[in-house]
Amino acid sequence: MHSQAMFFQARAGAQVRNAGLQKTLQRVRPLFVAKRVKGVAGLVEDGIDVEALRNACAAIRRRVVDDLDVWLEIFEERAKASGAEVLWARDGDEVARLVVDLAQRHGVTKAVKSKSMLSEEARLNEALSAAGIRPVETDLGEYIVQLAGETPSHIIAPAVHKTIGEVEALFAEAHERPVQERTSADIPMMAAEARAVLRQHFLSAEMGISGANFLIAESGSAALVTNEGNGRMVTTLPKLHVVITGIEKIVPTLEDFATLMRLLPRSATGQGISNYVSLLTGTRGAEETEGPEKTVFILVDNGRAALAGSDFADMLRCIRCGACMNHCPVYFSLGGHAYGWVYPGPMGSVLTPLYTGIENALDLPHASTGCNQCGSVCPVNIPLPALMHRLREIQSERGLRPWRERLTLRAWGWLALRPALYRWLTRRAARYLRWLADDSGRISMFGLVPGWTVGRDLTPPPGQTFHELYAARKRA
Amino acid sequence: MRLALYVTCLVDLMRPAVGFAALRLLEEAGCEVVVPPGQTCCGQPAWSAGNRDLARNLAKKAIVELEPFDYVVIPSGSCADHLRNVYPQLLADEPAWATRAATVVARSYELSHFLNEILKLEDVPGAFAGSATYHDSCKGLRGLGIKSQPRALLAQVRGLTLAEMQDCEECCGFGGAFAVRFGEVSTAIVDRKCEAIAATGADAVVGGDLGCLLNIEGRLRRRGDLSTQVLHLAEVLAGPEST
Repeated sequence: MHSQAMFFQARAGAQVRNAGLQKTLQRVRPLFVAKRVKGVAGLVEDGIDVEALRNACAAIRRRVVDDLDVWLEIFEERAKASGAEVLWARDGDEVARLVVDLAQRHGVTKAVKSKSMLSEEARLNEALSAAGIRPVETDLGEYIVQLAGETPSHIIAPAVHKTIGEVEALFAEAHERPVQERTSADIPMMAAEARAVLRQHFLSAEMGISGANFLIAESGSAALVTNEGNGRMVTTLPKLHVVITGIEKIVPTLEDFATLMRLLPRSATGQGISNYVSLLTGTRGAEETEGPEKTVFILVDNGRAALAGSDFADMLRCIRCGACMNHCPVYFSLGGHAYGWVYPGPMGSVLTPLYTGIENALDLPHASTGCNQCGSVCPVNIPLPALMHRLREIQSERGLRPWRERLTLRAWGWLALRPALYRWLTRRAARYLRWLADDSGRISMFGLVPGWTVGRDLTPPPGQTFHELYAARKRA
Repeated sequence: MRLALYVTCLVDLMRPAVGFAALRLLEEAGCEVVVPPGQTCCGQPAWSAGNRDLARNLAKKAIVELEPFDYVVIPSGSCADHLRNVYPQLLADEPAWATRAATVVARSYELSHFLNEILKLEDVPGAFAGSATYHDSCKGLRGLGIKSQPRALLAQVRGLTLAEMQDCEECCGFGGAFAVRFGEVSTAIVDRKCEAIAATGADAVVGGDLGCLLNIEGRLRRRGDLSTQVLHLAEVLAGPEST
């Protein structure tokens, strides 16, 4: 996916003014929050110390990230021993080349896909289509987004920005039938319609492409956590199964996987466990009746290795649950597309600059109020605001901020270090602000900070500063 | 005990009454309150903008001003969080300063924290005829654990009934420079806060951070709500000035 992150400011404005999108987002936001609350409450009822569990999950992931190369070698060895092939990709383009090459060597004309954000990083659908291979997204949300020619706006709810009417229009066109009036009661029927169409694709595709929520080092398996069942079709029906995943997705043991699974679904959807949890190891055995004849793992770097040992190593712990965006006031004011690349929300505000270039996503680390609602729900304790802050510092160190902003900050800082001068100026500022007030007694237009008055008035100060009044009292 | 009142740059410029309310509360509780005259800003805006050097210089300036006192009290969760949680990491690689920072930080408190847990105030002077709803500001709440203290104090205000709003822990969308840099996004966020406030029917919204309060007040007024009072906790607890 080509990054549009440099246009965050403009895209954000457009999304805020999109009334339909706003309505959808405001309806969904409380649901996401309530689901996690319920999920975590379930743990508490079971007598589990949630903080201790978060720490345990973080520790498992930290252990992997600290010795990533070692765990990757173990995984590669075990995966190969189970009959799978393991390939490595440096970046998204290499992923696309490897997959297209595999498809061509195996005479693939159609590939069914289970949700994979990494395939978005690699712009895989584009590459497959260009090579004459038809990619079919089979996750219901991804299917909708693909029909619309869009990209996912949420990592676990890709079509969360779509209304039922929009989905109906897309289905009617794709399934060649007239548009009908739909309400939420029709959702099961619409899902069944998509299922019938997708079933034919599962049966006819020669290649299945999936991601993996985790790679289990001890068994060389891919773990897949899904709710719709499409993941099982994708990974078992076609003769060739390709797993595309980031190198950081490793967990050492099945026991570790079980620990992480206590928090992953609860953090994402509030479920105690997702509808399907699959552990995929090797290929179809001689006496087995299902599974692919060939399994290929493509382990992708695309910027990840460089984070190991850096100030941003914490980010490699991420298990992609989406809780950070589900609790982000900024995400729920914009939806995911404003962020301009694969990952939205706080996760994206850290990953996009790191994976596509700090200079190519200058707004994102600043697109946060610093509220830390994300960090406080992260199941692996990633300090997201601190990572965004570090990115701000790097921008500042490299002189990447606009000159006007740098000048303002320097001038303000110079004054703040000189109390006498600062007092003199703030006294004048207080009077100036008082003078700006209109008939209502408030400031409704303020040219120096138009960003404030675009949506808010400013209550002016009484005209004298605290220190001025305090000094006068002391004298009295 | 001799304590320093760190009024914050925002209170100094935008609403001095908050500083005087804090001053009255502390003096009436028997504290010897000094307002260190050289104070300007704790440096949080520089830190948030990513300018570490400037943030460090302003931190050192504040430490020098605040270290002669037994306590430092700050009527802002955000500034108190900056002192307590950021100063130590800002100065971690300068051992002498790190020690001085640690000393000041250990004595620095957000106002409600100090009144409730250190002074253990049981009878505040303020009175308020009506209902109020309390907005938990993010830095105080998630950075310092300020949650029960302001409520315990509000419960002592004669005539005041607390009407909790939906999602009182949700960010109001202020975020310092964020509010200006992404004005429209910030407005969309504070709109949700205003709706939650309106749904309570409270006569006043109360908070511990002037930044959040200016944001909420500005949006309420722009939406046409001219009646809901927007008050700093210190103002409610101290009541109106008698002079």
